[in-house]
This record gives sequence, C-alpha cells and structure tokens, in this order.
Amino acid sequence: MKKYHMIVIIFWIGLSLFVTIFSYKLRLGSFHNPGPGLMPFIIGIFLLIISFYLLIRSLFERGIEDKTVHKEQRQTNFVKIGLVLVSLLAYAILLETLGYLIVTLLFFILLFRSMGNRWTTVWVASVLTVLLTYFVFTFFGVKFPAGILRLR
Amino acid sequence: MEIFSGILSGFQIVLQPLNFLYCFVGVFIGTLIGVLPGIGPIGAMSILLPTTFGLSPVSSIIMLAGIYYGAQYGGSTTSILVNIPGETSSIVTCLDGYQMARKGRAGPALGIAAFGSLIGGTISVIILMFLVFTLAQAALKFGPPEYFSLICLSMIISSYLARGSFVKAIIMILVGLIFGCVGLDLVSGMPRFTFGCSSLLDGIGVVQIAMGLFGISEVLMNLEESLDRTIFKAKVKNLLPDREDWKRSIGPIIRGSLLGFLLGILPGGGAVIASFISYSIEKRLSKHPEEFGQGAIEGVAGPETANNAGAGGAFVPLLALGIPSNVVMALLMGALIIHGVPPGATLISQHPQIFWGVIASMYIGNFMLVLLNLPLIGLWVKLLKVPYRILMPLILLFCLIGSYSINNNIVDVIIMIIFGIVGYILKKFDYEAAPLMLAFILGPLLEKSFRQSLIMSDGKFSIFFIRPISAAALSIGVLVLVTTGFSYYRKAKTKFILE
Repeated sequence: MKKYHMIVIIFWIGLSLFVTIFSYKLRLGSFHNPGPGLMPFIIGIFLLIISFYLLIRSLFERGIEDKTVHKEQRQTNFVKIGLVLVSLLAYAILLETLGYLIVTLLFFILLFRSMGNRWTTVWVASVLTVLLTYFVFTFFGVKFPAGILRLR
Repeated sequence: MEIFSGILSGFQIVLQPLNFLYCFVGVFIGTLIGVLPGIGPIGAMSILLPTTFGLSPVSSIIMLAGIYYGAQYGGSTTSILVNIPGETSSIVTCLDGYQMARKGRAGPALGIAAFGSLIGGTISVIILMFLVFTLAQAALKFGPPEYFSLICLSMIISSYLARGSFVKAIIMILVGLIFGCVGLDLVSGMPRFTFGCSSLLDGIGVVQIAMGLFGISEVLMNLEESLDRTIFKAKVKNLLPDREDWKRSIGPIIRGSLLGFLLGILPGGGAVIASFISYSIEKRLSKHPEEFGQGAIEGVAGPETANNAGAGGAFVPLLALGIPSNVVMALLMGALIIHGVPPGATLISQHPQIFWGVIASMYIGNFMLVLLNLPLIGLWVKLLKVPYRILMPLILLFCLIGSYSINNNIVDVIIMIIFGIVGYILKKFDYEAAPLMLAFILGPLLEKSFRQSLIMSDGKFSIFFIRPISAAALSIGVLVLVTTGFSYYRKAKTKFILE
C-alpha cells in the first residue's frame, strides 16, 4: 500500500507543477494589478510545498501499516466496479443515438442482473423503472433524446 | 419588530400551497434517503438540484433545506432499528438506540429521537433567526479583505475538523481551489484550464462535481461490501415516551439543542461533532453512567437533538455571510447562485422572501417530520428492507439523468463520471471529498476578494492585517495551523525516540 501512496504523492507533485507552469503562462500580473494566473499560481505553490512535505515524511517513515485488503476480494470487486463504469460510459455515449427508453432499459437489465437478481425480477423491475422514470422526469420538464424511436 | 413582521411574512410564503408542498417533498425525501442505504443528503441534493431549476428560488431552497434536516431524522431510524447509522451524524445513536430496541424499547427510542429533534430543530431555528439577522447587519460593512480572511479561516477550520488527516484535508482544499479556477477568468475573461473544451468555459458544474464525488463514487465504494442488513424483527409499539423517559431526557435535549447549535456554526462537520460531544457530556453528567451503551435513553435524546440543532446552526454562516460551512450548505449556495440570488449579508434586504420563507419553512418542516416519522414508522421500516441491488442501479440512473438534463449535454455526463472515478480513488487513499467540494464552491469568491483587496490596497498585503476583523480571523487561522503543526512535530519526535 505504501507504494500506492507514493504514486498519489507523485501525482500531487505533478499536478502542482502543471498548475504553476500553466498559470505562469496565463500572466501573473503584479500585486497592484493581479492577473488571471496569480491565484492558481499561489495555490499551485502551496500544493507543491505540502506534497513535498508528504514525500519527505513518507520516505523517512518506517513500518507503515499494511492496509491491503485480501487479494481474492479485491479481484472480484474490480470486475464489478469495471462493469459499472463501462455501463455508465456506454450509457453516456449511446444515450443520444439510441434514445432514452432503449438505453435505459439495457442499462437496467445489465445492472440488475449483474447485482444477482433473478431474471423475472430483472425484467419486471427494468421495464417498470424505465416507464416510471420516463413519465416522472418528463413531468418535471426534462427532455429526453428520442433516438431511433423518433417518429419521422 | 422587523423580525416579527419578517417571520410572519415568511409563514405567509410557506403556507402558499406550492411552497408547502415542496417543503413536504423535501422533508419526505430527506427522511427517505436517511433510511435508505448508500446515499446521503449530499448525493440526493445534487441529484435533485437540476429538477429545482424550473421552480422559484424560494421553493427550491425550501425543498433542498428540507432534505438536509429531514435526513437527520431518517438517519436515526436506521441507527435504532438496524444498528447502521443512516447518516454520519447518527453514528452515536447506534450505541444506545439499538440496545433500547433490543430490549423491546424501540418505540420510545424512536419517539424521543423524533421529539428531541423537533425541540432541537425549533430552538435552533429561533436562535438562528435572531443571530443571522444581527450578524448580517454587521456583515454589511465587510469588505473584500474581511471576506478573504473569513474564507481562509473557514477552510482551515474545516480541514482541522476533518475526520482524516489534516495534511490530506489541506491538499483536498487546494485541489478544490484549482478546480474552482477552471473556466473564464472573472476579470480578464481569459479561459483558464479549459483545454479548448467549450463546455468548461463556464467552469465545472456544481452538480456534476457533487454527483460524481458523492453519488457515483459512493456507489462504487458500496460495491465492495455487502450492504444487506439484518433488521430488527420485533414490532415497534408505544412510540410515545413515558413520564420517566421524559424526565431523564429533558436535560439532554436542552443541552443538546444549545451545544448542537453552537457547534453547528463551525465550518466542517458541525452536526457530527455535536452529536459525539453531546453523548460524552451526557455520559459524564449522568447519575448512572454504567447504563450508557446498554440502552440509556439520554444517549439517544442528547445526540439526536444535537445533530438536528447542529443542522440549523450550519445555516448561520451561509445566510449571514454567504460563506457555506459544509458541503450541504455549499450546494445550497450553488442553488442560490444558479437562481441568480447572491447569498450573504444582502440576502435579507434584497430577497427577504427567500430568507424568511426558508426560516419559516424550517419551523413547519420540523413539525411535518415528527408527523412523518412517528405515525408512519411502519412505512420506513418497510423501506429499510429495499435491497441495495435494486437501489444501486436507480441511484446511478438518477445521477445520469440529473447531469444530462442540466444542459442536455453528454459532456456534462462524462465529466460527472470522471469525478465519480476521482472520488472513488480519493476515498481509497483516505482523502475526503468534502473539503474539496467546499473549496471548489468557495474558490471563486476567495479569488475575487483576494484580487479586489490587493487592488484596494495598491498591492500591499498589510490590508489583511490592518483591518480588525480580517486580522482576527487570520490570526485564529494561523494559530490553528501552528498548533496542528506543533502536535505533528511532537508526535514525530516521540516516534523517532521510541524507534
């Protein structure tokens, strides 16, 4: 776990360097007349100092507790998390082409099933929630993309 | 007299059918999400934020505020019946509430929690009303340097009070400030950190960032553990506490109200800390401290009152100064800004209907909550049983629709998903998302006041130290930083010697 913490610290250092350089290019202005880059520049410098502090502390710190979870458990988790993330992204990408009703139905069938529900529950719950959310949100004035179901 | 006419007009506003309805919807949803696993008030508020765009500002703030204090009620129900806190502020309630339920006294536990919350909530609204009114008058004289220093102080204190490490909280604050810089610069109109993406010109949306950090990432975290619950089987009866219960609880309730309100004002998690401190105070004051942890009613009455009073106290900095003290208040501030209402000292004079309407809605909402929570307890117990495998896809869909419906733009959805992943990774490494969100909202205000102060003083930093209020705020902030740094140093030194 210590190794991963190190990666995070290095990421903070990278981020702070990027922010300071980027805001320097934005024009810092002067204290009399602060430019658009001044504030992010100061924030970046602070972040740099603190991440260096963390870096030095973790280099000198020994015997850090190992908080790693059991390996077996982690692997199954990553599958589930990956599935959820992929379905979220797929939803975002397909929403406008396929339309709300179809994408949402597919989304629910996939997620309800992967969470270990029975097929009958999956179908009933998916169809019901799709229709219900469609009417409720349309009532609130949300406009959904019709996608391929659009009447021409 | 101004206060009385103000509050009367407030009641007139809330009692309009539509506002009354939204107040009810707010507290209902609040109780619901307090009861349901895997979603808190922040997630729920960010999901519902887009649906309030079409409402009047008064209705939307009334509803969103209702979700916040309503969640404090719902959270206690799960603590008592399932031994799982619905919200962080009702963690302590588990200790004695669940023990009471196991001894067949779930009814009085729920009852005293609801009445305590009602009393705590009402007392805190009364103090809130007078305090905000006076404070806002004083705050009208505040200039940019005062605001700059108060925001700095508020961010320092909220990282000091953060649950995890102080340094990590400070990092989160800085990262939040960086995210707050994204978009067009307020003064020069120059795009910053947009990387040619036109959707970022207006900055990252409050809703996307909140939904990602508190909705999506929460779901991802929950996928790792099973959230199936064993629910207390016994029937809940006798909801009304008896005379003996009242005698033992009245002290804790009054102490909890005052303590909760005062701690609620502090930036960070006021309501959470208030509930913990109230518990330890009641244990110390009790004639039979050995009963604590075994089902002492004081251990439910005190903390449950304190967390509701704390929820009221948290409104003070937002309504009086326009500086939100926690993430929920930051979201409310976001909602006000979206509706074109500048929060802060001018709120009372320029938008009295919002200020008094919200205050009056809190009186009414607290009564609604008792009516919702006691007679309808059976409904909530049923909802407790909704399994997470059904709930999870629904939460995700609400996040997706919510972020899409703001501008009908897919980029918004993708930004939200990215923040979901960011939030998940941060949680994995024990970084809290709350300071990040708070700083993100405060960032633009901080920068504006910083630049205005420097222009005012012709580039001299002494302006922050000459003006008394600004100087006081900054010195408290420095004091907190120095003492924390010192304690870090001492800890490291003893560790070094031990090794």
